[in-house]
Amino acid sequence: MTAVADFFEISNLGKRFPPKDGMSATWILQDMTFSVRKGEFLTIVGPSGSGKSTMLNALAQIDKPSKGEIRLRGQVISDSSDRMLQPGWNCEIGYVTQEDNLLPWRNVLDNVLFPLVVQGRLNGETRARAIELMAAVGLKGFESYYPHELSGGMRKRVALIRTLAYDPPVILMDEPFGAVDAQTRISLQTDLLNLWQTGRKTIIFVTHDIGEAIALGDRVLVLTRSPARISGEFPIDIPRPRSIHDVFAMPGFPAIYKDIRSKVV
Amino acid sequence: MTMATVETTAPSSKPVKLRNHAARDRLIVVAAWLAVWQLTSAFVGAQWVSSPVLVARELGQWAQTYDIYQHAGYTLLAALLGFVIGGVPGMLLPFAIRRLPFVANTLEPFMVAGYAVPKLALMPLFLIWFGIGMWSKVALVASVSFFLIYFNTMAGIRAIEPQLVRVAEILGANARQVSRMIVFPATVTFIFTGIRVSLPLSIGGAAIAEMFSSNVGLGYLIQMSATNFDPTGSFAAILVLAGLVALTNALVDRIERRVQAWKPRANAFIAEGIAP
Repeated sequence: MTAVADFFEISNLGKRFPPKDGMSATWILQDMTFSVRKGEFLTIVGPSGSGKSTMLNALAQIDKPSKGEIRLRGQVISDSSDRMLQPGWNCEIGYVTQEDNLLPWRNVLDNVLFPLVVQGRLNGETRARAIELMAAVGLKGFESYYPHELSGGMRKRVALIRTLAYDPPVILMDEPFGAVDAQTRISLQTDLLNLWQTGRKTIIFVTHDIGEAIALGDRVLVLTRSPARISGEFPIDIPRPRSIHDVFAMPGFPAIYKDIRSKVV
Repeated sequence: MTMATVETTAPSSKPVKLRNHAARDRLIVVAAWLAVWQLTSAFVGAQWVSSPVLVARELGQWAQTYDIYQHAGYTLLAALLGFVIGGVPGMLLPFAIRRLPFVANTLEPFMVAGYAVPKLALMPLFLIWFGIGMWSKVALVASVSFFLIYFNTMAGIRAIEPQLVRVAEILGANARQVSRMIVFPATVTFIFTGIRVSLPLSIGGAAIAEMFSSNVGLGYLIQMSATNFDPTGSFAAILVLAGLVALTNALVDRIERRVQAWKPRANAFIAEGIAP
């Protein structure tokens, strides 16, 4: 660990689920220590079922860690003590989940404005910003559509913009582009890179796709299969702004891909 | 039939055609039924089964004397009062105990038992407690609609996807906002199911309650006519009762369609050949 306190720090994080059906308690996460700098795009890659979602649920305060500490700006915000969980930590930690979880009875605009409404922060300025963000990912003209009327890719965009609209300092993303076709995926990744380029949010992006982890991240952490541990760390020095298509064609790409792959067991 | 076949057949003209078909087919059913009734009447005797012509004439006379409006109004008022007095608490209670699983769990067997009691068996008691006026009818209807709305609303709350609530919390919603903006809208469909089931039963229940003791109302009219060996009067009153149910059903349909405008039309998922 560096001497300077990092923005978002995870130390010795462990998660164990209680014993069930005669099976003893198993550790899903163990000894996870890493940190994220302000404005960093960190990607975490690990095999399916390695506990990536479990880790993010602990970071988002949906679940209590069994061990370890989570700190934001040096302050402990979650640990294994009895302190109450506060999902999203007062809107400071955004979470874009695997499923879009849009509210089916609200149209696109009302879904995007939902966090601003419940936080009591909806005004002319925040509303204009939300509309601007929607336009940036091609949602203009879809404001009054209901989620069931949209394609999978469009729904992912709405879920992404809904979180960006209220501007949380840390955003967790759990394979947000999982269930879409390859073409849509690239266009979603492009949108995300463009948005990040202008906003420079602190992002922890979890995926099982090594290519995606390299293309998006400033740094890639590799997880082992359960119990999940960090087995490698790779800084990605591909210059920004990046274009997804160019990243895969970069001369250094195959080497780093191979390196990471050897660590993903 | 799959969605694909629906889409590949001429989209605009076909449903309309089917609708006309259905209306025509229904008319045929009504005509056949009336014909059988009229014939039966001719063979068995109108003093037993009346006849469509007699019933129509009776309804025409009632419409002119205005008595029928008083009877129908009385039954409808008792039904609606009971429906609201029973239904509103039935709808609110599940929301109140949603976050108190211990209370919900304790209440569960009593609710099931209460639901299972044949409410008609309580009518003599209601008469003791609330008198022979309208309030004993209201009490019967309330006891019926309370449980129906309660169980349907509860089913809706149990069916909520927990991750929707979680996401709303992360996005900053407090407990009250979760109740109002997530749990309630997610439950509306179920509440409407409860209304749809209990409203006809409320109207029927009010009429049946009137048969115990009353001198006004459609139930009284049915009972009175039969006592006087006047099946025509009974049939006419039953038709008015059925008309009230059809009317309130149509009203609920319309309200639900407006409230649930976001929903994909249910007809889209029902085979076109069956749905009107």
